[in-house]
Amino acid sequence: MGAIWTLALKDLRLLLRDKPGLFFALFFPILYAVFFGVVFSGGGGGDGAGIAVLVVDEDQTESSRSFVDGLLALDGMEARRADRETATARVRKGDATAYVVLPQGFGAASRRMLFGSRATLTIGVDPSRRAEAAMLHGLLTKQAFAPMRDPGALRAQVKAALVASAASGQDGLAMRPFLVALEQFLGNVVATTEANKTAGAEGSRAAETDGDAFGFQPLRIEQESVVRARRGPRNPFAITFPQGIVWGIMGCAAAFGISLVVERSQGTLARLLVSPLSQARILAGKGLACFLAVVSVSGVLLLVAVVGFSVRPDSWGLLALGIAANGIGFVGIMMLLSVVGKTEQSAGGIGWAVLMVMAMLGGGMIPLFAMPSWLRGVSSISPVKWAILSLEGALWRDFTLAEMLMPCAVMVAIGAVSFTAGTMIFRRTL
Amino acid sequence: MLTFAGLTKRFGENIAVRELSLEIMPGEVFGLLGPNGAGKTTTIQMATGRLAPDAGSVDVRGLGAPTRTEVRAALGVAPQELALYDHLTGRENLAFFGRLYGLRGAALRNRVDELLERTGLADRAGDRAKTYSGGMKRRLNFAAALLHEPSVVLLDEPTAGVDPQSRLHIFELVAEQKAAGRTVVYTTHYMEEAQRLCDRVAIMDHGRLLALDTVSALVAGHGGQSVVRIETADGEVRVETDDAAAAVAAQLKQHPDAHGIHVDRPDLETVFLALTGRSLRD
Ligand SMILES: Nc1ncnc2c1ncn2[C@@H]1O[C@H](COP(=O)(O)OP(=O)(O)OP(=O)(O)O)[C@@H](O)[C@H]1O
Ligand SMILES: [Mg+2]
Repeated sequence: MGAIWTLALKDLRLLLRDKPGLFFALFFPILYAVFFGVVFSGGGGGDGAGIAVLVVDEDQTESSRSFVDGLLALDGMEARRADRETATARVRKGDATAYVVLPQGFGAASRRMLFGSRATLTIGVDPSRRAEAAMLHGLLTKQAFAPMRDPGALRAQVKAALVASAASGQDGLAMRPFLVALEQFLGNVVATTEANKTAGAEGSRAAETDGDAFGFQPLRIEQESVVRARRGPRNPFAITFPQGIVWGIMGCAAAFGISLVVERSQGTLARLLVSPLSQARILAGKGLACFLAVVSVSGVLLLVAVVGFSVRPDSWGLLALGIAANGIGFVGIMMLLSVVGKTEQSAGGIGWAVLMVMAMLGGGMIPLFAMPSWLRGVSSISPVKWAILSLEGALWRDFTLAEMLMPCAVMVAIGAVSFTAGTMIFRRTL
Repeated sequence: MLTFAGLTKRFGENIAVRELSLEIMPGEVFGLLGPNGAGKTTTIQMATGRLAPDAGSVDVRGLGAPTRTEVRAALGVAPQELALYDHLTGRENLAFFGRLYGLRGAALRNRVDELLERTGLADRAGDRAKTYSGGMKRRLNFAAALLHEPSVVLLDEPTAGVDPQSRLHIFELVAEQKAAGRTVVYTTHYMEEAQRLCDRVAIMDHGRLLALDTVSALVAGHGGQSVVRIETADGEVRVETDDAAAAVAAQLKQHPDAHGIHVDRPDLETVFLALTGRSLRD
């Protein structure tokens, strides 16, 4: 084992000194993930189109309908009408973020906004989507105030009424406490809507707490949790970083495949072969170096994704499993790449051409979900698809261990078959 | 120490080495002399287990064939094709190869320092090998064969492409190996080198062993007579003789007007010419 480590450390040191190799194994993947992540997220972080909400109107009164119309017109969410069953199913599938149910009696309650029992709404959302739920709370609260379309103007009127009643002395004393309270309340509303406008998603949290500051809540919101069967990525970086990682892994496979060709052409392989090392150990050293590079590159990219781009893996354990499986798979591919060309140039050229095709087919360039369906079918022949899947499964697809086994087993099988084939060809040409 | 028995290697139709049998003795510097394509490198490669012979066998110190890893541990090889990591420094190259042979820690460091010193590379030890001159690379290539103090050192054209100074460095290193009691196999197509360094020389051509003996015995056996040439006013006079001194004295008496004397004593070159009808340098 000592000799294998010696070989592997030598190779890692050489990779660190190999500028183009390091570029393809590390810097290009990071650039790729960040660049396309930013492109997909529409120039910033998060929600360009707003959260997808399904609205279920079980009240079917005039005021419930106008409330729904208001929701449909609201910025910050994309609302559609649906019946309750469809809404539940689609939220569970992850097609929509949440649903909002206006129960029977909603219209009647909402007409007496400032007194009596409050109007009640039910929302259904996945419990893990706390940010979206909070934002939805805020938006619904805001909509409940829609009758006062312009609280600022209304407040001015109330203020004017206060001033007028004070000046005339008429009827003033009885109305006065109410008007003072109303004026202060409207002041709060103005502040809240301003906050909502400027702070976006954060404003929604403010709306929730400010509800208490009002001293009353015009709307009661009950939350049901609808656990999504399969969750989507939380942000576009959760898609582009697995792609970037696989680019990095391909860069490692190419670098070490080429390094084996270089060792052959530079004669260092001959020197290794006359040392007391067996061929098996020499190849094991190369394989270990490639595996360690794959793990390191994956680790660095994940660190960048987590620290810099708020990517939150569903499961670190499964992620480690996926990375290990990818390492095994691409060590095998590295071995095959090392026998495709006789010179550094031909091995590099042919190797990258093969990897490019794998990447194009396997979702390394266009994400799998964005592919036309025929291409998605073809993509299963590409190791890149399984490599990405084994990362996405643990990052955001929320795979169970059993679900992870499929892509991981495919990668391990690819590794075993190509390593065996590559080694056989390699030994025959020694 | 190193025994070849009926070694044969073919590359397609071309027989690179045919039925080579010889025994290299412990502690001797053994020369493999032959022109390009004679089969020297092929022989070395079979001796190190790098190539499998088509027929015959190699035995190292009675331990068996060098295809066995533990037998290879006794060998130190400096291949004809430079075998170095360009992007590692001289020191890193040596340290890496030393580790492959099981050297670690202080023992490794001391051995690497010693060899850098001995090969005159100490002041460039921290530079990458790719920045070295051809001669420096040759020396590093040689040093890499010596790290583990092997009992048999195989040097395949260790002076190829080096300047006279590097060449002297290498000659000294070979002499040191012999002084340390190691067996050295030295291939070359420079007969001066063979003559100067080797205890015994095997002359090869077209894969065949033509002759094997000490340099003086080869010359005595195959070199023929010395040639004395006297330049006179009416042309050159040529005399073949076993006693060059007597022949010169006789000729000078006969041609007092002689203005030039050449004595061509037989050497390995003449031996090769006699054996093959060709010059070694063709
Ligand atoms: N890998 C190979 N494939 C085919 N033929 C080879 C191979 N290696 C050597 N040969 C042939 O075998 C013969 C002997 O070659 P070898 O390299 O052993 O000669 P050499 O004595 O070392 O010559 P040089 O002084 O040029 O190094 C040559 O005819 C050469 O063309
Ligand atoms: Mg040779």
